[in-house]
Amino acid sequence: MADEDNPKEYRWETGYEKTWEAIKEDDDGFLQASVDDIVQRAKRKRQTLKHGSQKLGMMRHLYLLLDCSESMASQDLKPTRLICTLKLLEMFFDEFFDQNPISQIGIILMQNKRAERVSDLTGNCRKHTKVLGNLGKTNLSGEPSLQNGLEMALSSLKLLPSHASREILVIMGSLTTCDPGDITLTIDSLKSEGVRCSVIGLAAEVRVCRQLADQTNGIYNVILDDSHYKDLLFQQVNPPPAAVCLEASLIKMGFPHQPNNEGSEEPLTMCMCHVDSVDEGSKLTTGGYYCSQCFSKYCELPVECRVCGLTLVSAPHLARSYHHLFPAANYMEVDYSSQTNVCFSCQKPFGEGDKQVYNCPNCKKYFCLDCDIFVHETLHICPGCSTNPLTFQIAVTH
Amino acid sequence: MADNAGNSNAQKQNRSKSTNLECKNLYDYLKSRPSNLLEKLYNHPTICLAVYRELPDLAKQYVIRMVFVEQPVPQAVVASWGSQIYSKEHNNASKVLSDLMLWQEAAIPGGLLGWIISPTFKKNIKIALLGGGKTWSMSSALEADSKARDVAFLDTYSQERWECVLHYMVGSQQQEGISADAVRILLHAGLMKRDEEDGTLVITRQGFQFLLLDRQAQVWHFILQYLDTVQERDLDLVECLTFLFQLSFSTLGKDYSTEGMGPGLLVFLQHLREFGLVYQRKRKAGRFYPTRLALNITNNTNKSTPDIEDDHPKGYIIVETNYRVYAYTDSNLQVALVTLFTELIYRFPNLVVGVITRDSVRQALRGGITADQIIGFLKQHVHPRMLESEAKSPLPPTVVDQIKLWELERNRLDYKEGVLYSQFLSQIDFNVLKEYTESNGVLIWFNKEKRTLVINKAAHDDVKRFWKKYSKGS
Amino acid sequence: MNIVLPEESQQDASSAEETSLLVIILDSNPGQKMLRESPHVLTHCVDSVIVFANTHLMQKVQNKLAIMACHSKSSQFIYPDQGKHGDIRQVDGQYEAFTAVEKITKKNLAKVLTSDGSAVITESLLAGAIAMALCYIARLQRTKPPGAKLNCRILVVTGSSCSTSQYMNYMNVFFTAQKQNVVIDVCALDQHLNLLQQGCDITNGLYLKVPQLQGLLQYMMWVFLPEPPIREKLVLPPPLKVDYRAACFCHRQLIDIGYVCSVCLSIFCKFSPICTTCHTVFKMPALPAVKPKKRKKM
Repeated sequence: MADEDNPKEYRWETGYEKTWEAIKEDDDGFLQASVDDIVQRAKRKRQTLKHGSQKLGMMRHLYLLLDCSESMASQDLKPTRLICTLKLLEMFFDEFFDQNPISQIGIILMQNKRAERVSDLTGNCRKHTKVLGNLGKTNLSGEPSLQNGLEMALSSLKLLPSHASREILVIMGSLTTCDPGDITLTIDSLKSEGVRCSVIGLAAEVRVCRQLADQTNGIYNVILDDSHYKDLLFQQVNPPPAAVCLEASLIKMGFPHQPNNEGSEEPLTMCMCHVDSVDEGSKLTTGGYYCSQCFSKYCELPVECRVCGLTLVSAPHLARSYHHLFPAANYMEVDYSSQTNVCFSCQKPFGEGDKQVYNCPNCKKYFCLDCDIFVHETLHICPGCSTNPLTFQIAVTH
Repeated sequence: MADNAGNSNAQKQNRSKSTNLECKNLYDYLKSRPSNLLEKLYNHPTICLAVYRELPDLAKQYVIRMVFVEQPVPQAVVASWGSQIYSKEHNNASKVLSDLMLWQEAAIPGGLLGWIISPTFKKNIKIALLGGGKTWSMSSALEADSKARDVAFLDTYSQERWECVLHYMVGSQQQEGISADAVRILLHAGLMKRDEEDGTLVITRQGFQFLLLDRQAQVWHFILQYLDTVQERDLDLVECLTFLFQLSFSTLGKDYSTEGMGPGLLVFLQHLREFGLVYQRKRKAGRFYPTRLALNITNNTNKSTPDIEDDHPKGYIIVETNYRVYAYTDSNLQVALVTLFTELIYRFPNLVVGVITRDSVRQALRGGITADQIIGFLKQHVHPRMLESEAKSPLPPTVVDQIKLWELERNRLDYKEGVLYSQFLSQIDFNVLKEYTESNGVLIWFNKEKRTLVINKAAHDDVKRFWKKYSKGS
Repeated sequence: MNIVLPEESQQDASSAEETSLLVIILDSNPGQKMLRESPHVLTHCVDSVIVFANTHLMQKVQNKLAIMACHSKSSQFIYPDQGKHGDIRQVDGQYEAFTAVEKITKKNLAKVLTSDGSAVITESLLAGAIAMALCYIARLQRTKPPGAKLNCRILVVTGSSCSTSQYMNYMNVFFTAQKQNVVIDVCALDQHLNLLQQGCDITNGLYLKVPQLQGLLQYMMWVFLPEPPIREKLVLPPPLKVDYRAACFCHRQLIDIGYVCSVCLSIFCKFSPICTTCHTVFKMPALPAVKPKKRKKM
């Protein structure tokens, strides 16, 4: 059912068709320049697909379902599927929390037909890295149970407030799943709860995974090699469009600041995050962040106050996510005919070699291809607009 | 053997220093000059600028902080500028500043000792930075050159000239000869010597080491040797050095006037012209172009990272982990250099392929080249492709380590002068002497069964005295 | 047998050979308070900045420099520019390259100053200028020869104030700088700059509010001349505590407790039924003290 109404064709049917025709030798008979060009164009294409105005699920709660069955010991990824996965996940977590600082991740393992929660939903990146470090030593055994894993994630995601975006990301090495009941029922309940499930397959396409992803508006992909694996994983870093049943609400948050009382020594205090942890112990320290409501102390942000339940963040944390919502306007590609002799932002002189330049629709300045990519992938503000008093706030007020 | 290892290394270095090429940097050079000469040199903004750039990082900050201050600054205050953890670097910086006479101790009212920047240096570095004073001797105004030369032309020109000298050294026949003056400098520097039998010039071990240096270091070393002979030519050292640094701070691709240069300097200019440091169309052209060789002449630290905007001759060597060396070059000189330590397998018009073997490296080592020099040479000329990889070192570590191991292999035997003590009458006597020498650290070797021991020769007198006292006492 | 220590000799020489690029952003906006009160201060600032720039070039042969002017209506690079300057010759004992920096900077700055219209804009658009500097740095990083190392930093010299209207632009450039390992230093001439101070903190740069404009050059030489690797060896003014409180989108006030829109993360100081940024309608008022725990149906 999923395959029939899926308009997406297979890779080998289109997309890469006749790519060789686009490749041309340069004066010295090299292909590199031409290949680079294709790669850059592909990047630009992906960029233009992004639109700012759509609503995104910003407060993400993501459960990672990690297959830890026998099949993860396979050596088709080097050194093994599991170790390769853990390496990539480590990078993924860093990037994820960098881009989605007020989001949370939890990890569930699927092993021996059972599901085991190894870490609860939390926004603390270091906790996850630690868990990942320990996972390297798990012995991989038995078959995974997709249904058990999904049920466990769902039972936890169900409890979240309605404004939270709920997601599950399944990393599946096995081609089979051993389930206690009818998995389609589970998929239905996931769908009705508005949980978005994406699957990354490490082996081959599995119908039940395809169905899971299609039904819940997720993405299903099977990796080609490790770099493709990384690409697929990092696609999950960008927040997904908001689910239909996602409700908007205003959430009360605290913005703690360190009291700035010059001259007087700050008192030694204990922080709430380490007060009952056994392994690190709690120490008396100066400094820290005080909850704006009840003045409990925490040593890092973002955190949910244990005493009064207020979410404590610092303003830059929120600001890190703004670019998803207010991206810079896409530039238009125009043929170069000496409109200007240098790129506005990087001062690169335009010359014979530049066939296209890129024009900002708001400030009408011209940019080179590299700046176009840099502005939209990293910087997220247009240098032309932001230096002009007439245009600098367009992004904010559109 | 084992406990001798550390010792032997130190000895080896001492021994090899005397025969190795000594490459001084500007600091070493100036430190060895008399102090009145330094004072004279600091009268020139250019030299102040060059000296400043060669200072350690911290010293630069100290100088900048003090240059605009008129009174002496208490030493304790200067010491408090640096953070505690880096006090070693602070001491080093202070030492360099004192060595170069850039600052002097001065008493401050209240009995404290303070530092004050040398007034001449202060005045002239300010001139270089802020302006004022006289213009430099070579920058008189010029009409635009009708046949102006571009940077590419100057680069090929200077490269040709300099390689001429190098070709002469390796004795390849393909190039024209060099002047008697240049030959005299090569001889003076010990880079070449007269063969004892037929009197022809042959390259020395230092010469080989010289060839493996990078271009800038070669020029600097060569010029230093030249400056040593300057007095014999009735040229003024200060004048020449000043001019040299003026050149080094000039702009590439720009022409400068010879107007206002004394006869001595004009002679010096002609010498520089021969080595390719400056370009002149005609001897009496009235203008000259400095080339890349003359620029940043003091900046001769062995470069491991290329400069941005650098268009030096690109690297041409690829080293593989299987010890193969590919050198993309058509220059006989470069091929000759590569063959110093590799065994050639194939030779194509634009490529030679060689392999680094134990024998080929040992042969180079026997010729007086050190492992570090070989590695340094490979690193300098490594192909840009090898630099692109993420790895820290552009060369395969296995090859680097192996070359170093092959060098160490030659240093397995360690020579020490010693005195043999034998024919002890009793085991007790032997033990007493053994313990004594051991506790003094002069025992080199002993054999209990044969009751013999070897001690350091220097300690012989002391041990003899001890033995006399001991045998008297018992 | 002796053990070869791999690459031990390589480490020590490395930092001295790296190229360091300094991009100075000079705020020349005539609308800033300092200049409206006494326009001649600009001359003093420009002189100090040029000497400082030359001192940076004096440190090492490889050092690179760029100077930008952030003016009321646009920002542009004033050094280096595209033109050829073969004709600049020494006029006195100053090093030729320094003379060139001074002349080119002054010439282009004069062009910028005269091109300006009459409208007074009190706030300088520094975030845009930093964005341009980051693009410039990104280009140099892309085009550098393989194996070369380029350390970059940006120094902002301004007497302007900073309001929260550029908040998002500032944050985007700070995070980009952090990602690209570009250090942002700020030299505040007139007023305390809270937002830019956050930028310094995020990118590990230094923030200095100059107590006396007379001694500007001395302050810059002491604090901003040492490059980041050398800074740790020197005792420099300790970082101030940075106030990271948010400013609400409705009144631009710094707040301790606020309401955040779950769709666009806009911050409001009071509860409102509709988000002014993304026009989302909030169905149910969130209970003030407790985080809503129960799920609401559509």
